[in-house]
Amino acid sequence: MENPICLPGQRLSICDNVYTCGQGTYQRQGYIYSMLAGTVDLVDRNGVKVIEVHSTGEQTVISTQGDIVTAQVYIITQQFAKCYIKCIGSTVLRSPYRGLIRRENIRATEKDKTEVFKSLRPGDIVLARVLPMTEAHSYQLSTAENELGVVIAHSEHGYPMVPVSWTEMQCPKTLVKEPRKVAKIIPENIDTGGIVVDS
Amino acid sequence: MSRNRELISKIGLRLDGRRPDELRRIRCKMGVFSQPDGSAYIEQGLTKVLAAVYGPHQVRSRQKAQHDACIINTQFSMAVFSTNERKKRPRGDRKSTEMSMHLQQALLSVIETDLYPWSQIDVYVEVLHADGGIYPACVNAATLAVIDAGIPIKEYVCACTASLGNNEVPMLDVSHQEEILGGPTLTVAALPMSGKIVLMEMSQRFHLDHLPKVLNKALEGCKDVKAILDEAVKNHVSEIGSATGWANTTS
Repeated sequence: MENPICLPGQRLSICDNVYTCGQGTYQRQGYIYSMLAGTVDLVDRNGVKVIEVHSTGEQTVISTQGDIVTAQVYIITQQFAKCYIKCIGSTVLRSPYRGLIRRENIRATEKDKTEVFKSLRPGDIVLARVLPMTEAHSYQLSTAENELGVVIAHSEHGYPMVPVSWTEMQCPKTLVKEPRKVAKIIPENIDTGGIVVDS
Repeated sequence: MSRNRELISKIGLRLDGRRPDELRRIRCKMGVFSQPDGSAYIEQGLTKVLAAVYGPHQVRSRQKAQHDACIINTQFSMAVFSTNERKKRPRGDRKSTEMSMHLQQALLSVIETDLYPWSQIDVYVEVLHADGGIYPACVNAATLAVIDAGIPIKEYVCACTASLGNNEVPMLDVSHQEEILGGPTLTVAALPMSGKIVLMEMSQRFHLDHLPKVLNKALEGCKDVKAILDEAVKNHVSEIGSATGWANTTS
């Protein structure tokens, strides 16, 4: 790779209409400086050259409001489900963050009739959206969208279940159906207007 | 103190054979541990320091959490075998607590804390062998460990000590021997690129007239340290990068 190495605090370029700061850089007194030790990348976005620095190690990301996260449920109560956030978008986190899905944030419709144990179970992998932060100790999550909810779940006998509707999943071995708030997964490579696989 | 005058000999050498403006040998290594997110080891003369950085991760205590910045938690400790006499407590005494706070101040000035709201960064520093200039070695080790962890910093924070020998000549990087023979020690932590001073501390006193030249000497020392750290980081980055095939570089 030809990308040059840069060090924290190193001046990379002048900051003007052509060059702007990207990830891993900051601006001070009209110049762009590096914040990380890594390699410099020049990304062209609509004629503006964005200077980015990528460190050689793993990247730390912090989820913000509106991000889609992958989380694993570990405790359910009548009011909420607690989960560990494992990935933000497509980035895997170094250490899991704690998240909380409240009962009223599980479904978009019939919110007051929702029951946590009929929607989520410990061990389930869910896709969820991050809600605005109100408390410091955990992230509030929501699965109240068609595309959000349980994506991987195991039946009581430990087999991975397949979704049969948006509220139920079935075990392929024992054929037992279990209630879940199932996410509608849209494959990335499908044409728009194509047939939706499940639901 | 009469011995104060003998810190620099007639031919201009110090007790350990250095010239007044020479640093002790600095050797450093980044990424010495695999468990923490970042780690570093530094040797300044005989002073040996290990640093480890964890995070940014979710805050442990929710009272401390800040909505617009991460908190930096530092812990300084000295191994019980690091000094002449065995220490009773490796950490938690007044001196260690003070060191932790000074270290936290130095790091707060460079780490881009506002990028990680509701988060926490832990920095642990362990002195394995104390031979003068403990605080500078800790700051330098912590800087390397933070860089190794990939935490964004505005620039390096480097620290150095300076003293006054023979009541007139400024000396750089004071060793333990020179410290106990008397002679005031000025500890400076600075951002060498922008020339800002983050922390300045003086043990004993000397005439105010001498302060500018001693301070300048210490700042020069910080710049020298920065050049050495720069080289180490550069080597580390190219080593890691070529080993992983520059995996993270494509955007």
